[in-house]
Amino acid sequence: MEALHIEASEDTPKIYFEPDVEIYLLEGKSLPENAIDFYQPVFDWAQVFFHAKDVPSTIVINFKLDYFNTASSKQIAKLLRIIETSPSNENVTIKWYYDEEDTDMLKAGNRYNKLMNIQFEFIVNKES
Amino acid sequence: MNQGLLDKEKLGFIYKLFKAMQKNNLNYIYRGIFTTNITDNILALAESNLVQKEDPRALRRKVYNVMVEGLQNVTKHQADLETDLENKFGVFVLKKEHYKYFITTGNLIENQDIEKLTGQINQVNGMDKVELKAYHREVLLHGKMSNKGGAGLGLIDMARKSGNKLLYAFEKVDEKFSYFYLHTEIPSKGIEKSTLDPKNPNILKYISALHKMLNQENVLIIFNSYFNQESLMNLLSIIEKQMLENIQQKKRIYNTMVEMFQNIIQHGDDYKETEEGKAGLFYISETDNEFLLNTGNYILNSKIERLTKKLNYVNGMNYKELDEFYDTRLLDFEIDTSKEAGLGIIDIRLKTDGVLEYSFLNIDDKYSFYTLRAKISKN
Repeated sequence: MEALHIEASEDTPKIYFEPDVEIYLLEGKSLPENAIDFYQPVFDWAQVFFHAKDVPSTIVINFKLDYFNTASSKQIAKLLRIIETSPSNENVTIKWYYDEEDTDMLKAGNRYNKLMNIQFEFIVNKES
Repeated sequence: MNQGLLDKEKLGFIYKLFKAMQKNNLNYIYRGIFTTNITDNILALAESNLVQKEDPRALRRKVYNVMVEGLQNVTKHQADLETDLENKFGVFVLKKEHYKYFITTGNLIENQDIEKLTGQINQVNGMDKVELKAYHREVLLHGKMSNKGGAGLGLIDMARKSGNKLLYAFEKVDEKFSYFYLHTEIPSKGIEKSTLDPKNPNILKYISALHKMLNQENVLIIFNSYFNQESLMNLLSIIEKQMLENIQQKKRIYNTMVEMFQNIIQHGDDYKETEEGKAGLFYISETDNEFLLNTGNYILNSKIERLTKKLNYVNGMNYKELDEFYDTRLLDFEIDTSKEAGLGIIDIRLKTDGVLEYSFLNIDDKYSFYTLRAKISKN
């Protein structure tokens, strides 16, 4: 399976999905003008990857977002829905990172956890 | 039931501001602490949005250079003032009117510096282009440098680069401090001679009235220009660099700004067609207990009914209902276009305090002026 790399920009997150080294990461800010366009390649990739025959038995997807707008929030829901409805949904764990003071980010993660039948883990960012 | 309806007085302020700015084409005001970071972002914002692309490159460069000098002037002088004065914030104003750019700065200085500053400005104003150039070189090479970084080198530069006189005023605050206003204009297109009369009382009056209004309403930032993603990103950088102790508050201001701004980008209607984005007004003000985020933009009259229903519906919900409504909308993949996710207003309500206040002011048969206000509590 090919990797998916998208560099971060001022208003879009870094996407680093690399099956070879088993790293799956979304990191940064997500507030593009057109969230659908930005996330389309991610959906395309996920549709293939999570439906493949040789899906890894454990897939940890790291959500290290420090901000996303409502338009992105819907696209994240779409991505999680693709995972949830795929045959490999039980292989997946979402690791949801948030800053301790950022209760809104924790709430957003809880919301997806509640609405999606996927395993979630919540991790407080360590002060660096 | 219009529980979110802004009362006439509040609406008056927003619309008055918008009209005043429209009339003058006033574009950008920042009032607060000036740091190097904030200054950099103001410059970036000006470069990408406020200084219009159709202007000749030479003019844009000039405006930029004068802004740099003006902003540095404020940054340099505010740092060493130790005062508990409530209104110790500096102010920066950039506006465009017809073919002229106006740059105004205002900051607190010590009364004991008034005489020296007055002397320096008068000296600079008394020189023509050639004399200024010679004087600039002289100060650069031999001038005795003050501990503030120059014998009025910034002032000389501003005069040289604007090609105009420097207008100034002092307004006494107390026994120790005064506000120092510095104003210059940059003419474009074939206007060679200085046109600014340093003693023009109208401009002075205007500046001082504006500053009073900003202080009164405790306005932190006013942006009146084209709303697009680029201007949003630059404004956000300025907000991010504000020194707010409470991270959550800062995040919520950031969040609300994004949703309000993108709402206008997607749904605002142009009174006049523009390619650069939708014309709109955004400002943040502050009270003892809360931050107020305000937007104003034109919308088609035909949209008012639906928008009013939507706002009233969301305003009528309690937190739990809003939260559930968000869930429903989040998973409603029928509402999913590049323009609409159906979540913006719900999200603003969830992350701000109290109802969203709004109003519509009829402009003509086709358009109204729509204002929206969200409040973020400090407690």
